[in-house]
Amino acid sequence: MDISVQFKKGALELCVLVLIHERDRYGYELAQSVSQHIEVAEGALYPLLRRLVGEGYCTTYLQESTEGPPRKYYKLTPEGEHYMKKLVIEWKQFVKSVSNLIERGSRL
Amino acid sequence: MNKSQFLAQLHDHLSVLPPEERSELMEDYEAHFAFALQNGKTEEEIAQELGNPAELAKEAIDGRFAPKEPVYWFNPANPEPAPIQTPVRQQPVKRRGGAVTTMVYIGLFFLNLILVPLLISFWSVGIALAASALAGLLSPLAVVLDYFAGHGYFAAKTYATVALVGVGIFLAIASRYIFKALVLISVSYWRWNVRVAKGGAGHE
Repeated sequence: MDISVQFKKGALELCVLVLIHERDRYGYELAQSVSQHIEVAEGALYPLLRRLVGEGYCTTYLQESTEGPPRKYYKLTPEGEHYMKKLVIEWKQFVKSVSNLIERGSRL
Repeated sequence: MNKSQFLAQLHDHLSVLPPEERSELMEDYEAHFAFALQNGKTEEEIAQELGNPAELAKEAIDGRFAPKEPVYWFNPANPEPAPIQTPVRQQPVKRRGGAVTTMVYIGLFFLNLILVPLLISFWSVGIALAASALAGLLSPLAVVLDYFAGHGYFAAKTYATVALVGVGIFLAIASRYIFKALVLISVSYWRWNVRVAKGGAGHE
């Protein structure tokens, strides 16, 4: 599989958690927000959301809308928020280390 | 690919999931189509953006079943019974270690050492029956040849021929059923071998 696809998949979880942390969002809204920033198969979002719910990081609630089907909103739980913060810290450290390494390599 | 094609493919690939989970996921994708159609996208665009149904289904299934720590049935260091995940059992086991593969091939070899000759002997019984049937049916011809060979003719030969043709008809009917059964047994035995050798992935 294309390696950048793997990068994006790994980042997708973090992006989704941050987006839900900003405010409660429904699936299609998340798909749009994510694809504004990273190019990823939008369909991968739904299995991921199910997993986040299964692991207790998110809860869902339905809200009727005047147009279209009812929207399934995702809300971050306290555990989810904790998990997101941990992931953000890990992500920053990881990016910094990899950048340092690339930097060092390019100086040689 | 349009909406119904996408959803149908996804539905097929999700067949290993329990029905309620599958329908929940399907609802998510159906809702996605509904929202995106409202925003003026075409079904083809939406399906394109969603991605390949087979890969999405794989992700949904992997994300669900991926055990935190893989449990091996032969691992004595893990006395706890493996958590029962019934859907996993429905899913063909795709990967197998080299040692296990070798053992499977050795096992199949010894099994076939016994069963293949047995199958061949069944086939020879079938062939023998068919040959007897053919001989019975052709026995009038034998009488004619017998006459021309100068062995003379008498009525008893005709009566014997009539009886032999009757026997031949019965044997022909019997061997038809026997051959059908033999083909069925051989083909399914062969398929079972292929399936075992491939590690249960040969259902398609």
